Formats: sequence, C-alpha cells, structure tokens
Amino acid sequence: MTTKQRINLHVNGKAYERDVEPRLTLADFLRHELHLGGTHVGCEHGICGVCTVLIDGRSARSCLTLAVQVDGAQVTTVEGLRNRQTGQLHPIQQAFVDAHGLQCGFCTPGFLMTTLELLGENPDPSTEEIKEALGGNLCRCTGYESILASVRLAAERMRAGG
Amino acid sequence: MAIEIPKLPEHMHSGATRFIGRDVKRVEDPALVSGTVEFIDNLDIPGMLHCAILRSPHPHARVLKVDTSAAEALEGVAAVLTGEDARRWSNPAYTAPEGWGAYCVAVDKVRFVGEPVAAVAAENRYIAEDALELIRVEYELLPPLATPQAAMAPGAPVLFEAHDSNVVQSRVYNWGEVDRLFAEADHVVSNSFRWNRVGANPTETFGCICQWDLAENSLTVHGAYQTPRFWVAARAMALNLPSNKVRIVSHPMGGSFGGKGGPRGTDISALLSRKSEGRPVKYIEDRMEYLIAGFSQSWDRHYEASLAVKADGTVTGFKVRLIDDQGAGTEGWGTISVAKPLAAFTGPYRIEAARYDTVLVATNRAPSGAYRGYGPPPHFLVLESLMDMTARKLAIDPAELRRRNYLRPEQFPYTTPAGNEYDSGNYEAVLDKLLAMADYRGLREEQSRARAAGRLIGIGVASTVEPGVFDWNAYATVGVPGIGVPEGVKLAFDVFGNLTVVVGFTLQGQGQYTVAAQIAADYWGMDFNAVKVTTAATDVTPPHFGPGGSRLGVAIAGAVLGASQKLEDLFCCVVAHVMQTQPDQVELMDGRLRLKQNPAVGMSVAEVAGLMLSRADLLPPGVEPCPEATYVWTAPNRTMPDEEGRCRSYLTAANATHLVMLEIDRETGRTDILKYFIVDDCGTRLNPGNLEGQLQGALAQGVGAALYEEYVYSDDAQPLVTTYVDYLIPTIHEIPMAKKDFVVTPSPFTPLGAKGCGEGAMHTTPAVIHCAVNDALAPLGLEIRETPASPRRLWQLLHQAK
Ligand code: FES
Ligand code: FES
Repeated sequence: MTTKQRINLHVNGKAYERDVEPRLTLADFLRHELHLGGTHVGCEHGICGVCTVLIDGRSARSCLTLAVQVDGAQVTTVEGLRNRQTGQLHPIQQAFVDAHGLQCGFCTPGFLMTTLELLGENPDPSTEEIKEALGGNLCRCTGYESILASVRLAAERMRAGG
Repeated sequence: MAIEIPKLPEHMHSGATRFIGRDVKRVEDPALVSGTVEFIDNLDIPGMLHCAILRSPHPHARVLKVDTSAAEALEGVAAVLTGEDARRWSNPAYTAPEGWGAYCVAVDKVRFVGEPVAAVAAENRYIAEDALELIRVEYELLPPLATPQAAMAPGAPVLFEAHDSNVVQSRVYNWGEVDRLFAEADHVVSNSFRWNRVGANPTETFGCICQWDLAENSLTVHGAYQTPRFWVAARAMALNLPSNKVRIVSHPMGGSFGGKGGPRGTDISALLSRKSEGRPVKYIEDRMEYLIAGFSQSWDRHYEASLAVKADGTVTGFKVRLIDDQGAGTEGWGTISVAKPLAAFTGPYRIEAARYDTVLVATNRAPSGAYRGYGPPPHFLVLESLMDMTARKLAIDPAELRRRNYLRPEQFPYTTPAGNEYDSGNYEAVLDKLLAMADYRGLREEQSRARAAGRLIGIGVASTVEPGVFDWNAYATVGVPGIGVPEGVKLAFDVFGNLTVVVGFTLQGQGQYTVAAQIAADYWGMDFNAVKVTTAATDVTPPHFGPGGSRLGVAIAGAVLGASQKLEDLFCCVVAHVMQTQPDQVELMDGRLRLKQNPAVGMSVAEVAGLMLSRADLLPPGVEPCPEATYVWTAPNRTMPDEEGRCRSYLTAANATHLVMLEIDRETGRTDILKYFIVDDCGTRLNPGNLEGQLQGALAQGVGAALYEEYVYSDDAQPLVTTYVDYLIPTIHEIPMAKKDFVVTPSPFTPLGAKGCGEGAMHTTPAVIHCAVNDALAPLGLEIRETPASPRRLWQLLHQAK
C-alpha cells in the first residue's frame, strides 16, 4: 500500500479534507469515500461519459481523474443539483423528467452535468451545438431523441427564469 | 372463481380510464435524476469484501498449476478462490441442451480468453487487483478453435470432453412442401450472409454482493438481476443449496437488454463469501471484463438462404441454413437465440413452406448470451435482404413486393408454417401510412436526382413481426423444458386506503412500475400518487419472471388486472354484508363500491380497506381482515411443440415497417442516415411515452449493429475488442431522430389488447439499413452481406471495385 496524500476540496459547496492513496480515482473517491453515489461509472476508460462531473465549472471524466488532482478544486456532482432543503429538482432535472429524457437513468447524471456546463455557457444552444456538447456521453437506452428534447426544454425554461 | 381480464381499456367496468394510454410521467424518474437510486455498486454492507477475478489470457489451454500463496499472503486479502474450490463446492452451469456448461472458475482447462482461473476477496478492489498480479498460473496451450468451421473440422480437439464433437446441436426443421415449391418456382433467389457478434452493453455492468450464511447454509444475493427467480433456481443447482435457502434481492439496473452478467460473477462471489467465513463479497464487473467475458456477445452467424418466387413476385418458400457459433459452451443461453426465430420465421409474409437447417457449434470464443430480440434480428436481416434481391431481380419496387406478400387482415389469427399463431395485424395499413408519411415517391425522385449527380443514396423499406410475450415452449427445440412464464403481483391496501403493488422484478428502464401504477390507479379510480409500486426479495414475492421476450408490459397488465378483480370481488362481499345485500348488487365504479340499484349509496375504496383492517366485527363470516390479493398471470392456450417444433409459443405479433434514406461517402465509407421513418402496430398503447422511448432506443441499438458494433476476434480466437475505443456504441451524432406514427390493431388475446413491443426496432433497423446500403451500392454493382456495414468494410468494398 502506498502512502496517502492529504487533499482539501469542495464538493457541492461543502468542504472536505481527506487522506487518499495517489492512485484513487475521483470517481471512486466521490462514490466510496464521500458516499456520493450519484456519479456512476460505465467504462472507467474515458469513453462513455457516465462519470462526468464539473471541476471548477468544467466537465471532466471522474474515472480518468485522480482524487489528488482535485486538491483545492470545486467539484460539482449530480447531488449538487436539486435544492438540498426542499428536494425541488433543478430545471435541468425537471426537464429530463418531463421530456422522458431517461430510461434506466444510469447515464443521466453524466448528461445532466454536461448540460449544466453547456447551458451555463450558452443559454440558447442550437441543435447542432447541443449534439456537439453531448457527443461524449453515451446512452444505451434512449436513442438520444428524448435527451435532445430535454436539453431544449431545460434551456427554454431556464431562459424564461424557471 | 374465474377471473376475466378485460380485453380492451374500454371494457374496464370500473370507470373512465384516466391514466392508461396517456403519457403519464414516470414514477421512476425523480430519484433517478437525483442520483439517489440504489444501483448495486451504491450498496455497502458492513464487513464487506471486494472481489477481483483473474482471467485467462489464452483461448484454449490446460491449467496445470495455480499458485496463490503470494496473493494469500498480501495484507488485506481475505480469501483466494481456485478451480479446486469450484470443483469441491459447486457444479458446472446448467445449460440447454445439457452438458455444455463449465464451473465458475476453470477446472483443468480454459476454453476462452477471459475465463476466470482464480478470484480474490480483499478489503478493497485496489488490493484485490494487486493480489491478482501475485497469482502464478501455468498453462499448457491447446489449439484454438476460432470458427465453427475449425471446430467442425475432422480431428479438431473436443472442447467439452463429455461430448464427442463440438456440435452442440444439429437439427433440420421442415415445414410444408419446401422442395416442391422450390422446384415449381419461377425464380430462386439465394445468397450467403454473415452476421458478426454484437451485444447489449448496458451502461451499467453487472454487479452483486453475496453473503453465505455458514450457520444456516443459506445465500443472500443483492445484485443487478433481470430475472431474479430464474437465477435463484440456477444458483441452487450450481451451488448445491436448497432452493428455498437462496434469496435474491434485485436492485435497479442501469439497463440490461438481456445481456447482464452471466452466472459466473454471482457464483464466484458466493464461493468467496463461503471461503471468507461468510463475510459479504461484492463483485462489480468492469467494462473490459464485460466486453471480453461478460456474456454480452450474441449472434455469431453464417447463413445461406433462399426464397422461392413466382413470376409475379409471390414468395412461396424460404430456406435457411444457419451455422451458429455459440462460443465456449452455452452457459449464457445462446442456444435460445437459434430457436426463437421459429416464432416468426416467415415474418409478415404469406410464405407457404420453409426449412430451417441449424448447426450450433462450440468454439473458443466467449460463450454467447441474450441480447434484445434474442435471435430474430439477424434472421430478419437475411429475409429482408432476400426480399430486396428479389425485387431487384424482378424489377418490382421493394415496397410493392412486400405489399404483395403480406398476410391479409382477414387471415388472423394466422398459424405460420413454423407453427406459431399471430394474433392480429394490418400490415398494409402500416405500410400505407409509412409511405405517405415519408413521401416515398418524392424520396425516390430525390434519389434519382442525387444518383445522377454521382451520390450514393440508398432507400430501404423493411417489414418485420416482433414475437411478443414469450413462453418457454418456444425454446423446447434446444432443450428448454416447460410451458408457462408466471408474472405475479400482490396488491395490498393499507388502513388509509393507499395501495402498494408488489412485483417480482426491479427497474431496468422500461418504465414498468409506471405501467403497473397506471393500470391500478385506473381500475381503482385512485389518485396516481396513492399507488406505490415496489419490489421485494425472491423469497416473498409471488412467482415471477420479469422483463424478457417482450412480455412484461402485457404480463404486468394481466397480473394487476387479475389481482384487482379478485380484490374487487372480496370488497363487494364486505360491502354487501355491511349494507345487508348480496355481493352481486355491489359494483366498483370511479373509486367507490356502490349499490347498483342506488348508486348514491356506497363506500369509498379507502373506507372498505380501512374497515377490513380495523373492524373485524363487521366482516362477513369467513372473510379475513386482509384487503390484499395476489394474482399470477401467464399466457393462455400455449401448446407443446410437435416433432417439427411447431407450437403456439409467443402470444402476440406486433408489426413494424421502417423506411430509411441514407448516403454512403465514397471517400470514407461512412454511412449517414438522412431520414428515418417508423410506423408500427403493437396493439393498445398502454403508455405512449414509454413506447416511443423503447422504439427510439432500439433503433439506436439497431443502427449500432448495422453499421458499427462488432466483437472482433483474431484468427487464433483472441478478442480484439476490449474497450469502448474498439466497440463502437453509437453517439448522438450517429442516431437519426426518427419520425414515427402508428396503427392500432388490438390483440384479441391479451389484457387490454396490448402486444409485446419492448424489443421493438431492433428487429427491423439492421435489416432496413442493410437494404438501403445495398440500394445505394446497386448502381455500382456492389453488395455487402456482412454486418456491420462499417466504414472500413464499405471503404474496402468501394476501393476494391475501383
Ligand atoms: S466511466 Fe468515465 S468515461 Fe466511462
Ligand atoms: S437511460 Fe439508460 S443508458 Fe441512458
């Protein structure tokens, strides 16, 4: 076993200090050390996008990131989306529910985080821009049509202040 | 008391339907979008160990020695499992036909790359994987059999010593006067086809946690199981446990599509738990394990097939010779995929007679497993490709050729030459709607203009029948016993009148909890949110199977309606007693049990439930204080197969016709789908949103199979696909957003007239895309008869032709 390294970071606004092995992935750290199980793992080799989180506002593969690399960073996961007190869904989450944007839901946290980044940068994306943004996320269930509709609906509602 | 299940939504006598047929929001979704659903890897059990599996790098080898001493000595390792343990404590996997299964850890020899040779349970997965590196295995290499041809060659080594060859089954089915029809045909259209391995690839891999109670000699398993009870029986057999001492708690799944896990991960974790004094052991398959050895590989086929055709385009006969590469044994139930096409062998056509000549062969590829459609998708690609070849030969428009051969509405219920009965359909109406929606003529004109400009534009039209609601008898020909696939629910009202529906399966993506809630809420005239659908462990749920074979929507409807009706009868007795009248004077309407003669007088459902649970003194004699009922549904009127495999197997026959327009880029060989249209008919649409999702999702999987996905093996049986860099799951860029419409011909045989439709577009999409690709290539005199029509394959074809 290797010596552990201390990291300090914020996840969904909350501060954590932990000692971790240098080889521990961010995905495993979030899931098994912080018990934030909403970030799923689909391939562990950087292709499927299921494990997507935001690191300092930018989408990243948590399976290809080591926990020690996020020392000092702000990490956002799917658990950070809905209102923590009331449980009210974030408009992006609500749009996925309303537009049937998921089936098994295993890929969904990755799509939600990617969408959060996209709409933060571009509140009114075209179909091509949405496809470009979501091109790195695999979904095996939906065939993407309803995901596209969900992102459009979320953008519309967020522009309207929802 | 006979339970009569309503055959159409309007036959439900309990009031207006407010949820069935409507686009109800899924009850599953709020938790799923919040990331709070307990997928198996989100569950931790105190004291839990983590398993990692050492897998063979060789396709075929004798295992001479496994030295685990260094691994056992590593700090944090609790147990190491070897073939010796497997031999001592377990049995080879049960298979149909029997005798083609292996132990969960290799005993004496390995038969495919990725076969487990040892496994470790340790304090965490990282340590478990460290320990794998310390295990020394000595192999003596044996000649690899990479193809069925190699496996059938004289003198080939035998993979399973109990048999004297590698042929699992060789069987010819003759249905009708095939030879005469071929002799009398004006044309015979023949060709060979190659369908390469594809597979399910749900985004979540398989996972489980096994805990062996050494005192009780019992096993509790938490995990991602599509068909929990089925797994209980198989585990009891494999692990020498009484079947009532195996308990499975099924967790929500990140998709399955038939292909999840196989038996080995469970058995290995179970034995590791046994070996580590009963501590729980978690195994989470990683994606490389899934791709190489996760029973995800399906349909590895070599076809030769022909149609007998009359001068006017009437197809009279269909012959298929199939050599099917099962891989290293049949523990993944790949044999079923060869039997299932019997249920819709001649597709939507009036073909009079057919022959199916099948050879199932064991090789050193990974054992094949189940995948959405479970066999017919390649079969329909062959049939539809031959239809297009016929159309070209006779210079008949391909849509018109199909129309001429369709079964006609008055022919239903129709018994096919292969013996199954199709319930209902109106294939021509489906085609008409599709051609109008797509403006078929306009597309053909557009194609001629594009062709004149040198572009490779193709149009495909393909029609299929989706066998829905499977029964075991469909697979009797490969040795699967029995008739009847139970799907049970328990309905339980509580003292406040809220309703819990207990089912035997868990979430997988199709939205079946929502469907159960819709039906229950409509039947009982309740608020949708007052119905809660939940699952329980296998030892307490009624008999069930779960999703599979396009059956659950129909089966769960039958079960909820059956249980509701039982409970309604009980409620009527109670109300009659309280109101001093006869039960037949009471009826359920819009959420109330009321007097038929005086509808203003009655009790709400909640009042009846509350009374039953809190005023036993008011109950009629003999009635228990239990507002609950269980009902187990199975398809009616199934029959045992005759000597040619003919039987009534699948209960429903949904139909779909797809139309695609695509373009092949000459420079790159890449196919772009320009337009895609679907019209389908799966009877009553219980939840249109769910259905749309199933269709579009299956379309995406079909596009993958037709154009991109392939498990490639080298000539010496090494898998060359080990990551998603090699196995190309389509992204949002490759999938067309299909325009869809439907026709409704209710099934006369099912609850509410619904038909099985979960496999959906998977049956049709690969076929229609290949038809269109070959339509695009036709002006060049080229043809592709191998899947996938990948950019590389098309590029080679185009460049060889230059
Ligand atoms: S799990 Fe990280 S990209 Fe697939
Ligand atoms: S919803 Fe299942 S993988 Fe996307």
